[in-house]
Amino acid sequence: MGTQVNWLDLFRLMVRIRYFEQTAFELYTGGKLPGFLHLSIGQEATSVGACSALRADDYMASTHRGHGDTIAKGLAVEPAMIELFGGAAGSCRAKGGSMHIADFSQGILGANGIIGAGIPITVGAALSAKQRKSDQVALCFFGDGATGIGPLHEGMNMAMLWKLPVIFVRQNNHYAESTPRHEYQGIPDVVRWAEGYGMPATKVDGNDVLAVYTAVAQAAARGRRGEGPSFIDSETYRWYGHNIGDPGTARPKEEVEMWKARDPIARFRRVIIEHNIASGTDLDAIDAEEKARLQAAAEMAEKEPKPPVEAALEDLYSDPVLGSRAIQGVRV
Amino acid sequence: MTEITYREAIRDAQREELERDPSVFLIGEDLRDPWGGAYKTTQNISNVVGNDRVLNTPIAEESIIGAALGAALTGMRPVAELQYLDFVMRAMDSVVNQVAKVRYMSGGQAKVPLVIRAQGGGGKSSAAQHGNSLEAWLCHVPGLFVAMPATPYDAKGLLKTAIRMDDPVFFIEHKMLYMTKGEVPDGDYTLPFGVADIKRKGEDVTIVATSRMVLFALEAAAELEKEGISAEVIDPRTLVPLDEAAILESVHKTNRLVVVNEAVERCGWAAEVTAMVQKCAFSDLDAPIERVCSLNVPLPFQPDMERFVLPSVNDIVRAARLTLGKV
Repeated sequence: MGTQVNWLDLFRLMVRIRYFEQTAFELYTGGKLPGFLHLSIGQEATSVGACSALRADDYMASTHRGHGDTIAKGLAVEPAMIELFGGAAGSCRAKGGSMHIADFSQGILGANGIIGAGIPITVGAALSAKQRKSDQVALCFFGDGATGIGPLHEGMNMAMLWKLPVIFVRQNNHYAESTPRHEYQGIPDVVRWAEGYGMPATKVDGNDVLAVYTAVAQAAARGRRGEGPSFIDSETYRWYGHNIGDPGTARPKEEVEMWKARDPIARFRRVIIEHNIASGTDLDAIDAEEKARLQAAAEMAEKEPKPPVEAALEDLYSDPVLGSRAIQGVRV
Repeated sequence: MTEITYREAIRDAQREELERDPSVFLIGEDLRDPWGGAYKTTQNISNVVGNDRVLNTPIAEESIIGAALGAALTGMRPVAELQYLDFVMRAMDSVVNQVAKVRYMSGGQAKVPLVIRAQGGGGKSSAAQHGNSLEAWLCHVPGLFVAMPATPYDAKGLLKTAIRMDDPVFFIEHKMLYMTKGEVPDGDYTLPFGVADIKRKGEDVTIVATSRMVLFALEAAAELEKEGISAEVIDPRTLVPLDEAAILESVHKTNRLVVVNEAVERCGWAAEVTAMVQKCAFSDLDAPIERVCSLNVPLPFQPDMERFVLPSVNDIVRAARLTLGKV
């Protein structure tokens, strides 16, 4: 299980995401970050296990809760942190912010502020790969909230119809915003939906990074062989509420505590030590490195200059002449 | 030059671009032969380039456009067809929140070479859900270019340009124009976006019209000529970007303006042109600008009622007279 992947790389990525999110939380609650913030703490194993099973040239689309997924797919934390501050050198030049964070050079097709919107985009990327006769695959993450939305069902149908290399990964964290699953889902187990559309569907322990990795690696291999889409229901939990404004009180305290006790990072740390891959000291060193990196990133990002406000008129169209005319119209 | 229909112009542009560039493909409902599209605008294309490049889809507009976007972001140049412009309402999140904004939200990382084609407009008794003119909605969305050709020549040249552009283009055809004929050059040609065409030269009043209304405006101009009124008819051809200069230059000459647009009048495209001209050419105007648009109701089914709601040649004639103080 997971033999082709470097476990310490997985560990490092999970720790990096945890520190990124914790740093963002502290900065936001300290009044330093504008906008919205949806934290993915607790879901690191799903993000890292899934993206580590992809190649650099594979595609991935994420959600409004997209920091972990995009960092796992290769987004560098420094420009990402600058983006959260709205700095000119941010990943999206301060146009996207937390909810739209992306690095297209890493195959990231964007986080997305609209529930389920990344799903058809991923289907299209997989269609493109097939038409270009490439063996790239495309993975979409979506949360519980997306199970009620049309494009998930349309996307599963299209991916199956055209035998596309799509990997549907549901980040099953039990809640659509604050609403528990039994209030928005007709059957408890959406794996049955995916099976109904004709694709193999598996449930994995989404807090077990190696289990997620293995499931996605199998799905990717299947996609590359031209055998079509797969569905993975990765059961995990977000420790915080839907967003920073949500204290998470809609969820029973005992439930939150139970899932915190299943911390995917602490758990993987034990597995690594048990298998003699590395010592606790080695892992502490990785932890310290990532902590220092994020601390430095935050300090640097805070000092980064903001864009001139006129930069708001850039980056809309790629045709500079027609684009400028479309934006400005005539000025008399 | 060869005389072809507007429908053939759309077909030929797509087929020629498919043959020219392997990254172009068509995606939409009912496109493949022998059916060739609800309005036959893709007939004899899959026969030529193969079903791999002409994808028939489930009826799922939001995902058709979403999938076309995903392909556009990853190296392809899709041409997506919405069978009716009305159905864009089913795809509005994909069009507005995704297609139009992904480049901006990513700080210019993404390139979106995507054309969305749809036919709109009334005149066929298609009632309220198959005859909407929604161009103003689309012009309202930053990030899209919007083309709305009235003739076979413009349709073919602009569609080829649209397919070669690296930005998303919403390309609006009109169901009542498909059978109209016009000359097109033999061989490849393209037309620039943002350049209006003066469809008829005139001196006394400027009529700016879009899509099928260009034909109505030309008929109106012929009527007005009988009364000794010389009307200039301007077709902007693309609504975003708009050739403001051509309109202003004409108004500078005629001092009078009628704006004709098939959509309902309230908050419509004609209001936008009116606002632009009163701001930029206030001192040129000798009369209030007249708008000729649909009445502010959904399209009714019954043909006489439909004609009553849609702008007519007579409405344009009356509006032009009004700008000249003749009732």
